[in-house]
Amino acid sequence: MLGISRTKQATHPPDRADALADIVLPDHEGNEVRLGDLWQDRPAVLVWLRHYG
Amino acid sequence: MQLHRARDEFRDAGANIVLIGQRTPSHAAEFRRQQGLELTVLADERRKTYALAGTKVATVGELIGPKVVARSLVATAKTGKVQTKTDGHTAQLGGTLVIAPDGRVTWSHIAHDASDNASPEEILEAVRAIG
Repeated sequence: MLGISRTKQATHPPDRADALADIVLPDHEGNEVRLGDLWQDRPAVLVWLRHYG
Repeated sequence: MQLHRARDEFRDAGANIVLIGQRTPSHAAEFRRQQGLELTVLADERRKTYALAGTKVATVGELIGPKVVARSLVATAKTGKVQTKTDGHTAQLGGTLVIAPDGRVTWSHIAHDASDNASPEEILEAVRAIG
């Protein structure tokens, strides 16, 4: 129902961000952002929101 | 949003900070406008990066269990912000990764329930620890 999980899932944060680096997402203005560019020259904080709101 | 208020501290610490949400860029833009954010908000409609970041889908108890409700009430009392309707996958939880320039994930916080969020202070400390 509503995609809710029936059992508790484990969380598995990665040790490295390599799998994320080449992913391109649009920003709030529709501009494409390659995630790896965010930490190319400086640390990056990526925050995944549960939802907008 | 606390991260928005701390954005100058993240900048001073030398870090980029972006938010990633479900749904479309127009939803991201509306969220940004409603919250008065200046942070970059990305849109991952298919939630591909959610999976790669190690986030999870919640159970009923992890969404509306007593602990979650209690923490949410406290957060609302502190911030005055009331959660609006959820968009996208209702049970998708979030998380935070701090990534060093060499690609190492030096710190992470992956939510175990709907009320489980890292504080800006914790995240800043992790950024400063990279050096």
